[in-house]
Amino acid sequence: MSLQNVLENWSRYRKGLEEGGFHDYEHRWVMAVDLNLCIGCNACSTACYAENNLAVVGKDRYAQGHSMHWMRIERYWDEAPEQEFYEQGASFLPMMCQQCGAAPCEPVCPVVATYHTPDGLNAQVYNRCIGSRYCSNNCPYKVRYFNFWSYPESSWPEPLNMQLNPDLTVRDKGVMEKCTFCVQRIRVAKDKAKMENRKVKDGEFTTACAQACPPNAIIFGDQLDPDSQVAKLWSQHQVQRVVTKQEKENPQLRGYRVLEELNTDPSVMYLERVREALV
Amino acid sequence: MSGNDLNRRDFLKIMGWSAAGVTLAGCDVASTVTLEEGKETVVSYLSPEEYVIPGVGVWYASTCMQCAAYCGIHGRVREGRTLKLEGNPDSPLNVGKLCQMGQSGVQAHYNPDRITKPLARKDGKLAEISWDEAFKLLEQKAGPAANLAGERFAWVTGTVSGHQAVLLASHLEAVGSKNHFVHETIAPSVAQAVQQDMLGEALPRLALDKAKLILSFGADFLGTWVSPTHFATQYAKFRAAPRGILIQVEPKMTLTGGNADLWVPIRPGTEGVLALGLANLLLQQGADATGIPEGLRNTISAYDLAKVSDITSVPGARIERIAALLKQHAPSLVLAGAPVEGHVHGYEATAAVLLLNIILGNIDQTIVANGEFPFPQLVAKSGNRRSLLAFAEAAQNKALDVVFFHGVNPVYTAPAYLKLDEQLQNIPFKVAFTQFPDETAMLADLVIPASSSIEDWGTHVAAYQAEQGAISVQQPLMERLYPGSLGLGDLLLTLLKTRQADKYGAWADYYAYLRNAMAALPADYKGDAPNDEEFWNQTLQKGLLKVTSQTKPLKAAALEVSLPEPAGANADYPLHLVPYAQLGLWDGRHANLPWIQEAPDQISKVVWDSWAELHPTTAAKLGIQTGDIVEITSENGTIRAAAFVFKGIHPEAIAVPMGQGHQEYGRYAKGVGVNPLKILNPVVDAKTGELALYGTRVKIAHTGQKHQLVLEGHGNTSQLGRKLSSTVSAEQFRNTEGA
Repeated sequence: MSLQNVLENWSRYRKGLEEGGFHDYEHRWVMAVDLNLCIGCNACSTACYAENNLAVVGKDRYAQGHSMHWMRIERYWDEAPEQEFYEQGASFLPMMCQQCGAAPCEPVCPVVATYHTPDGLNAQVYNRCIGSRYCSNNCPYKVRYFNFWSYPESSWPEPLNMQLNPDLTVRDKGVMEKCTFCVQRIRVAKDKAKMENRKVKDGEFTTACAQACPPNAIIFGDQLDPDSQVAKLWSQHQVQRVVTKQEKENPQLRGYRVLEELNTDPSVMYLERVREALV
Repeated sequence: MSGNDLNRRDFLKIMGWSAAGVTLAGCDVASTVTLEEGKETVVSYLSPEEYVIPGVGVWYASTCMQCAAYCGIHGRVREGRTLKLEGNPDSPLNVGKLCQMGQSGVQAHYNPDRITKPLARKDGKLAEISWDEAFKLLEQKAGPAANLAGERFAWVTGTVSGHQAVLLASHLEAVGSKNHFVHETIAPSVAQAVQQDMLGEALPRLALDKAKLILSFGADFLGTWVSPTHFATQYAKFRAAPRGILIQVEPKMTLTGGNADLWVPIRPGTEGVLALGLANLLLQQGADATGIPEGLRNTISAYDLAKVSDITSVPGARIERIAALLKQHAPSLVLAGAPVEGHVHGYEATAAVLLLNIILGNIDQTIVANGEFPFPQLVAKSGNRRSLLAFAEAAQNKALDVVFFHGVNPVYTAPAYLKLDEQLQNIPFKVAFTQFPDETAMLADLVIPASSSIEDWGTHVAAYQAEQGAISVQQPLMERLYPGSLGLGDLLLTLLKTRQADKYGAWADYYAYLRNAMAALPADYKGDAPNDEEFWNQTLQKGLLKVTSQTKPLKAAALEVSLPEPAGANADYPLHLVPYAQLGLWDGRHANLPWIQEAPDQISKVVWDSWAELHPTTAAKLGIQTGDIVEITSENGTIRAAAFVFKGIHPEAIAVPMGQGHQEYGRYAKGVGVNPLKILNPVVDAKTGELALYGTRVKIAHTGQKHQLVLEGHGNTSQLGRKLSSTVSAEQFRNTEGA
């Protein structure tokens, strides 16, 4: 949406949360990630590199924290320190932009380069971004990635550049970037539906990460479509939006949102990892 | 624009409609797409070539060649370029999914270090020559006029299948040679031998989704074992309610181990002992012993709990618990992976592990007969490590005059003790048919640029088939980047034409050969296709042809097992080397793909490097911390790598991942890390002759130097009390989602 829209609706986007949230969404793209199924294999992450023109930065810059993996797999070991071995395996957590309903990155941008779309996404306008990096500082999930260098030549020496996806840009030095929920795929699906005079159907497209995921741990869709798989999963697990603490009828259900207590209203629901008590 | 009905918006709408039509039609004309030939001519978009609609991607089905699992793929082609690969939902193996190696197939294709022109050795150096000269050289050295004695010619390849395998066999026959060395470092070749003897099928189908408990002895089925993406799709069903239990027993935690409910570290090389101990417990507790010969029963009964626990270092209570769980959760599935195979008694240990399936009654439950593929000549010639040794021996004995290499890099994967780089000098004419300047190509006399997998035609039948068998079809997803580069089928056809022009002269190229071969299939494979043309188009659109195998029941013949007494401590070389296979770098073939180098190792999270995993107790003894460079020495060499102190490894093991340490292989691979395969000792499995990957003992020394390992997340391993990746008990899961 335009800058004008952002300025006009600023208070509704920003302060609407206390009043039950912003209601006029056209779509509400959300995800459900089942940690019982995620095996931490990296397929999602590499699919994201392929789809979204993510730069390969090399070892030295990776060491400085300059890596551009919009979708990363965090890996934790939860065993007590005195345990001799990691007997219950790893805790994997695919972490990407949570497309917060009340995103901490949005109000701090001095040029409104990051803003809220009517689809409920946190969009990043690359050519508006001046590289203040305030948004990244304010993101509790650390999923915003800054182009400290100009990567096009080093990351895509010819003919690797021929692989670049023409549906989106290649970002240059001084610009912040992050997961968009594959907004270019959303655009295509919406345009096609509009052309055919119908609504976007659940499952007619998905994000690159969800499409690649071998155990199908990532489900993507429109929460406003009550018949979508993802909307059903959210309600099955009794996960509410616009709350900082889930009050569930059945507290044993696995759905939760990472760091929702910070009042970010994330659009990604995780389903808890499961382990048999064998140790 | 007043008065003009067709404004820009309407025009675009029309474009969109026709594009939708194109997408539905699908077709096989990718080879007519010529926009990327590098020609200076500007082609107007007003008259685009057929099926090239600017801005609209078209999807074509093909086959992934990044490993020998041969998953089905869809490639997105736009303006004549392949942009993205996805899994083919129709493929019975990967059902629409694709792993990171498959995703990176485009980087193998667009790799900046591809060989673009033929190279020949002149005055000791490889120099560019023309295609004409290359073919002349081939003709001269390996053609009919060369009067080459058949047995002095060999093909050395990775896994080959489909009609390429048929042509390759024909070429060998035409030359009069039987030398086809099929080499894969990561291959379940010992398990295949055991299963052939025990079950009558080398790779029966595994119904992971039907198992209530999987006990895996180092089989990294989610990462590097047999058909990982297929197994990951099955794993999702296995873990859905009622949720199956996964127990992984191995010396070093693999990706599968990282997902286990219980990960059990075991002293390397003693997996067979634990299996016999479990068998003993199960039989004592009344498991069905029919079908277990008396000799074997006596062998098993010698493995009492105390002895087994002592040998394996697994606590007795834990062994009893696993036995109880196996009994409780039927049907189960017991798997044996690379750490079991990789010793001098690998066959026996694998037989001991797989024996549990017979005792537990898993045959025909979770291990099911696949039967004989109706076209056995198309089934993959699976590679192994035995053939590497056989090839090295042939080279050493000066038994070969001409060798063709394809899809394989033995100079990199061979242990240093084989001195393969020197032995290759005994072969007067070596042809590397390859995409990349790998270590083997750099020692060749003639290098012929190969097409990438997304420029080529082919058919593939993976050695491991899903419930629905299929011939997977590979078609070019775009025009060749480097005109002249050849696919395997085309090269073989060219070679065959020089020898049997009457038989093969009719085919202009491999595409024509393949079309004819498909048309020659029996009528019942063609379904409702009205003619061969239509059948060909349908097959290409789907990317595969489903076939039904004749099943014959599995046998369940328990094999006599005789495990050696444990070797005991080795004062000179106290640690076991674990050359760890990783989903990504694989056997080193993907080290030249930047996405793979920059993707963190799933367990350690290290990028762009090699490392040496050590248990904290072992590290503490030597005063080693993460980042200290350690020197790892076997009887056959030394490598140096930064230590990574980690609680997912047995204290008597040290693990170094395979895949790095390239001396050639382009800008992304060269000079990164070390290759643990180089220091392997000459240990082979006594029964199959397979190079034993896990049979090398090493000692380590602290060098006092430091090296920065770069880790995703800067090495953070703790959630610091926050609810990031949260865990619940399986009991709670059963309460809410079903038992």
